[in-house]
Amino acid sequence: MTTESAPKAGERRSSILRSQYFGGILAIVLLLVVNLIKDPGYLSIGYNSANGALVGNVIDILRAAAPVMMIAVGMCLVIATSGIDLSVGSVMVVAGAVSMEFLSTAPDTVGSALLALGLALGLSLLLGLFNGFLVSVVGLQPFISTLVMMMAGRGVAKVVTGGQNTAASNGAFRWIANGYVFGLPVVFLLALLVVVLVAVLVRRSALGLMIEAIGMDPTAARLAGVNRRGLLMAVYSISGIMAGIAGVFATASVMTVDVSKTGDQMEMDAILAVVIGGTSLAGGKFNIAGATIGALLIATLDKTVVFLGISSSATPAFKAIVIVVLCLLQSKRVREAFLRRKSAVAAPQKEKEVVA
Amino acid sequence: MDSQAVLEEESINMKRFVKTPMTLLVAGAMALGLAACGGGGDEADGGSGASSSELTTIGFVAVGPEGGWRKANEQNIQDTFTKEKGYELKYAPAAKLDQKSQIDSFTSFVDEGVDIILLSATEGSGWEASLQRAQEAEIPVILIDRGIEPDNTDLYVTRIAPDNKQVSKSVAEWALTALPEGGKYFTLEGPAGVSVVNERNQGWDEVMSSHPEFVKVGAQTANWSTEEAKSVFETVLKSNNNDVQLVFAQNDEMGLGAVQAVEEAGLTPGEDVKIATIDGTKNALQALADAKLSFVAEYNPLFGETALEVVEKTLKGESVDSYIIVESKTFDSPEAAAEALPERQF
Repeated sequence: MTTESAPKAGERRSSILRSQYFGGILAIVLLLVVNLIKDPGYLSIGYNSANGALVGNVIDILRAAAPVMMIAVGMCLVIATSGIDLSVGSVMVVAGAVSMEFLSTAPDTVGSALLALGLALGLSLLLGLFNGFLVSVVGLQPFISTLVMMMAGRGVAKVVTGGQNTAASNGAFRWIANGYVFGLPVVFLLALLVVVLVAVLVRRSALGLMIEAIGMDPTAARLAGVNRRGLLMAVYSISGIMAGIAGVFATASVMTVDVSKTGDQMEMDAILAVVIGGTSLAGGKFNIAGATIGALLIATLDKTVVFLGISSSATPAFKAIVIVVLCLLQSKRVREAFLRRKSAVAAPQKEKEVVA
Repeated sequence: MDSQAVLEEESINMKRFVKTPMTLLVAGAMALGLAACGGGGDEADGGSGASSSELTTIGFVAVGPEGGWRKANEQNIQDTFTKEKGYELKYAPAAKLDQKSQIDSFTSFVDEGVDIILLSATEGSGWEASLQRAQEAEIPVILIDRGIEPDNTDLYVTRIAPDNKQVSKSVAEWALTALPEGGKYFTLEGPAGVSVVNERNQGWDEVMSSHPEFVKVGAQTANWSTEEAKSVFETVLKSNNNDVQLVFAQNDEMGLGAVQAVEEAGLTPGEDVKIATIDGTKNALQALADAKLSFVAEYNPLFGETALEVVEKTLKGESVDSYIIVESKTFDSPEAAAEALPERQF
């Protein structure tokens, strides 16, 4: 059954979803055009021979998008199980705090950078596992479990650094967020690599289908023999590690962890990126490419606000307008897609059956 | 014990016919016991009340982790109002710099009936209702560092703070001497609407408005954060083709972020772009000593002693000025910074 119908379902889904995150791409292009109108040289990319780096606004956007990409992809898997992970921002600050605290006393070597990375990701994995445990074994609502972790995480970070912002210096760790390979920022290449790895992991195996199955109909999934508990643990752990990577990216960029600011409200950015990318908050499906586009859009938006010189007080309003317009644009598309699906032969129920 | 012994005796003597008197007795004994218990409880309560009222309770509605400056300031306040000096300080930092959480702790201090409240507001506006409640409960409120908006001096006793306007004026005046021919400058602000930000802008603008050779290319918030400041300023440099000569960072953390953005753009901080910051934390003085920052104006956080004096006066009913300015220093050279570094507490 799976061998025959899975590719069909995949095709249908991807064609619908492509139109869903089309809005995101359109918005990025529009924002770039607005910037281009302000300064015709906006898209030009220079070359800095001193450090072999390409220099340009677009490169900055890619760099700024990297942390958001990480948490957005993690979040999109969690949302597919019809859960939510509010703790990503707090996991970021924990990862940042642990690595900075460790590096502030460690020698400036590649070894200690790797150790800091290991510590940060290990702890993020633990926090993610704990989220998964609360959701799948204890059976708490994902909203509550991760809300608890959201508050506890920042507390943990404060304990780790003794309540103060900690700075450290380590060349290798700094390189993660500020280095360049082939002229491109390392941080973006790493983010892209991780996204591709996750995408291959979930889409080349049945993992993705099973994640969607428990998000659509947990009972049907259980009857079909899907291991809900194990899957939820895995999904929340992935989200935890992704948030840990994002935390490393964010703190390595300035080699300082700010216990009250690092990762602050990043869960909102992640959820927004996921929604912009066409993943429904109702669960049951996910779109990793869409979440990545969403993350890029958020970075573009942040950078545009500064580039246009919009005053600080008007910034939130400007962002809100862009996002509202985007949502309207998308909801229309979603409705269109929905109508097309209804009139077509493939009713929504049929798709459910196929996956289950 | 006695009543129970009596009960037993009686029950033996009177046996069956005296069921009713017995129950009466039991009830009586229990009532006595209860009364005794109640009395004891009252006494105990009275005792503990007396011992805690010897200490003056202070509710400190604080900002919490925000940066080196805040940490030094709040630590200094906490170290000043000690039990030895007769104070019990209740420290309530805001959750994630959230004003709502501050209002909550403020309200609970009022309900609790502390003797005096110290308030460092994360945001200037929106405090009227809370301050009125404190006034109705006759609890004096002293503003620490940050003011409120609109600045209604009837609602609080006094505000103790270094003068933001004065400090940012000193930065602007330094800029006039450091860049005699003027230049383009960018301002990295704190969150919009906070009184510190408004005052630091006012002081700066007062000086700069009469100097047309200084051109403002823009101002943007970086929320006091190094990371955001770096990201903001790298874009600002690009949108101005690196043609920015001066950065006015309204706190040290953002100034340090700007330094990194300047370095990454292949420019030299201090030569191509001069960066001036306010606060004077250890990290900033270190950066000034390394010639990465060009000017650091201190915003003195160590005014616990002044606060102590004011609290004592207020509790005695003496009047105090509605604004008490704390003196601050400025550092304009790597040497001055290096000299001050060893004894920097924050």
